[in-house]
Amino acid sequence: MSRVKQLWRKHRLTKQLQRLSQPVLQNYQKLSCDLMQPNHCAIPFVALDLEMTGLNPKTDQIISIGIVPINLDKLQLAQAQHKKLQIKGSVGDSAIIHGIVDHQLEQGVDTRTALLWLLTQLAGKVIVAHHGHLDIQFLKTQLNYHFGESVIFCYIDTLTIERERWLRQHDMIYEGCLRLGASRHRYHLPVYGAHSALIDALACGELFLAQRSAMGNGVNIQQWIELK
Amino acid sequence: MMDETEILPVVQFIKALAPFDRLSEADLLQTCQSLTVGYYSKSLGELLLDHDNLQLYIVRTGAFEVKGSQGELIDRLGEGDYFGFPSLLSGDEISNQVIILEDSLVYHLSASTFDSLRQRYKEFDQFFNRAYAKRMRQLSSFGAVANEALASTSHIHHLMSPQPVSININEPIQRAAQIMQQHNVSSILVIDNQKLSGIITDKDLRNRVLAQGIDVELPVHKVMTGQPMTISADTLVFDAMLAMSEKDIHHLAVVNDGIPIGVLTSSDILRAQSSEPQLLINQLNRQTTVAGLIQVSHQIPQLFQHLVHADHRAHDVGRILTSVTDVLTRRLIEINQQLLGAAPIAFCWLAFGSQARQDQMGCSDQDNGLLLACEPNEAEAAYFANLTKAVCKGLNECGYVFCPGNIMAQNPKWRLSLEKWQQCFHSWVKAPEPLALMHASIFFDMRCIYGPQTLFSQLQQHVLTATKNNDIFLAAMTNNALTESTPLGFFRKFVVERDGSEVKGIDLKHKGSALVNDIARIYALSVGLEEVNTAKRIQALIETKILNPKDGSNLADAHEFIAHLRLSNQGYQAQHGVSMSNFLIPQHLSSLIRHQLRAAFHVVHDAQSGLKLQFTRSF
Repeated sequence: MSRVKQLWRKHRLTKQLQRLSQPVLQNYQKLSCDLMQPNHCAIPFVALDLEMTGLNPKTDQIISIGIVPINLDKLQLAQAQHKKLQIKGSVGDSAIIHGIVDHQLEQGVDTRTALLWLLTQLAGKVIVAHHGHLDIQFLKTQLNYHFGESVIFCYIDTLTIERERWLRQHDMIYEGCLRLGASRHRYHLPVYGAHSALIDALACGELFLAQRSAMGNGVNIQQWIELK
Repeated sequence: MMDETEILPVVQFIKALAPFDRLSEADLLQTCQSLTVGYYSKSLGELLLDHDNLQLYIVRTGAFEVKGSQGELIDRLGEGDYFGFPSLLSGDEISNQVIILEDSLVYHLSASTFDSLRQRYKEFDQFFNRAYAKRMRQLSSFGAVANEALASTSHIHHLMSPQPVSININEPIQRAAQIMQQHNVSSILVIDNQKLSGIITDKDLRNRVLAQGIDVELPVHKVMTGQPMTISADTLVFDAMLAMSEKDIHHLAVVNDGIPIGVLTSSDILRAQSSEPQLLINQLNRQTTVAGLIQVSHQIPQLFQHLVHADHRAHDVGRILTSVTDVLTRRLIEINQQLLGAAPIAFCWLAFGSQARQDQMGCSDQDNGLLLACEPNEAEAAYFANLTKAVCKGLNECGYVFCPGNIMAQNPKWRLSLEKWQQCFHSWVKAPEPLALMHASIFFDMRCIYGPQTLFSQLQQHVLTATKNNDIFLAAMTNNALTESTPLGFFRKFVVERDGSEVKGIDLKHKGSALVNDIARIYALSVGLEEVNTAKRIQALIETKILNPKDGSNLADAHEFIAHLRLSNQGYQAQHGVSMSNFLIPQHLSSLIRHQLRAAFHVVHDAQSGLKLQFTRSF
């Protein structure tokens, strides 16, 4: 990544920081500026997965969040966390996909509290998520709704990495070939029968380690970091 | 913060692995949560172990190869295998190299968690402490059942526990419980002036003390069963059982003139009921015709099955099965002598190989010979030709098939006078050529089944004198024994040989038991030991300080473990209608047994190296 691009990114984050008024959001943004150091060698990551009632950030809600931090290329299960959120109305038919039914969410935290908790957990780390654009959009929408402002997230999308690696060896993308399970299969990662935000975050984190290991040490991971 | 369902894939995997399967739910969960997860791409080539951050590596998926400092293959590891623990245990510098064979996902367990689990779980510690220092016996569940009861089951004095645990009538209740705990017994006799006054059982402590909230400082006579039912030592087992079931009690005090001499429990009797070999032997002894013997011998496979299922020690199973063969052989000799007339000259019926070693298993063939006191004339030779032919045929019909190598008394080659046998052994010892060495491994394990012991001793002493301290012969035997070695271990569905090749299964006899037999035999011959049973040979070698106690008992345990596995494998085969063999398929093994068998192979391999050093003076 060029030094110019690096500086431009840092500038964007600094600008955004100046616009924010909420302390927790400010803190997140400030630490994300520090991540943009040109020779930051041991960037901490955090694998993230959200379960939602549907795929539309404008109308659907987040029902659970799973995170697994990654330090020095190792997933830290001791710091893995899982939060269930209270939602308005019912999870409805989406329970078929995520297996979480309404009564399980009754003990959940409210979305506002969950967002503040999550920002604290994510601060100073680069998010790793599969098809991360969608998760980030949900988070931004919810931040805007609850706080009237949002941060710029720093994240890596394992699906983007996988698409690029795939296209280097293949001419076209087949239906489903970049899904989490199919991608994991190519790295000989185990099949996980159960699904939850936490298990999927773990699965995504493992895929990320596998991708990095396969790319070798020569690759600068900073080039994969996206801001949104 | 987290419940089990949330990192289910990790917990489920770890839970199925020995020795983690021994952890409590809470410890298992905590252990899983403490793990870190790493990925090692094949393209990296090697996994560098960090001496400053020692940890246990648990292979989740993928494959590794561990190589020694000389580049020799030490291990090949797949899903569910571990590495990194030798340095964790010893703190020694890491000298092994870990090659990444396939893309691998690995769980790391920190040194601190590893140590704390070792401290808190004995099984966990023993599992990883296979530095052979710890005895393998402790790991395994051989279900050691005392088979002394098999000697005779007719009177209860063979079954009762002698030196009964007792307490004085005025001692407090708590003291009684403490003594019971110390001796690990379920009942205690209460004594008043040397005479039996009462009995207290586990159940009494529960029902009459705990449930009633009785003060445990009160004297025991407050809660004991006074005037308990007693029996004498010569009561028949059957009568004791009857008494227990009629009165619905599980403990009987055994007394002599009012003085307690033992306790008989219902589990003592239960255990003794597996002693049907005695019945079978009695039945064989009662038969007066060959047809009758054949008929009774149909029960032998069933006896074998029962012994295997009762999980007796392999050593005992071998002894029991062999004693049945011995009795059968004797009866065949006696009955045929009645048909042919008394023998014209004194003779011994010799057993070789497994029957001699008393370690027969489910599919034994015959290995026998005849020793004559002097050179027979033509008529005498004809008599013994007829006798041996009839006995070998009888054995064959009773299920002990003819020896494929024709090592049988009916073969004139192995029906010799004392003088000829001595010459025969002498020629093997003097010129240890391949065929002689092959014979040596069979004939040097010999036992007299029938005939005068004095005659047999003359032959045995002659042989032992010839082999004792005979360096050239022992070196040749050793080199011959070292042509086979145990496998390295397992990898996925395969058995890995020491050269790295993979085979589908393992012959536990030729790549396991036989190697230990060879080792014990060579040491025994080198010092002129008369014993032929491998376990007893090893025991004697320890006692005479030929083997050091640690190596010796490890070898004995490895031998027992492999033999036990052979037995259960044969039991499994019989149950599934597969013809019996010593061939073991690794997929049939649990995670724990795979690890234990691998450790047993290591012990045998080390013992082979020791043998090589001792008798060939080379490394």
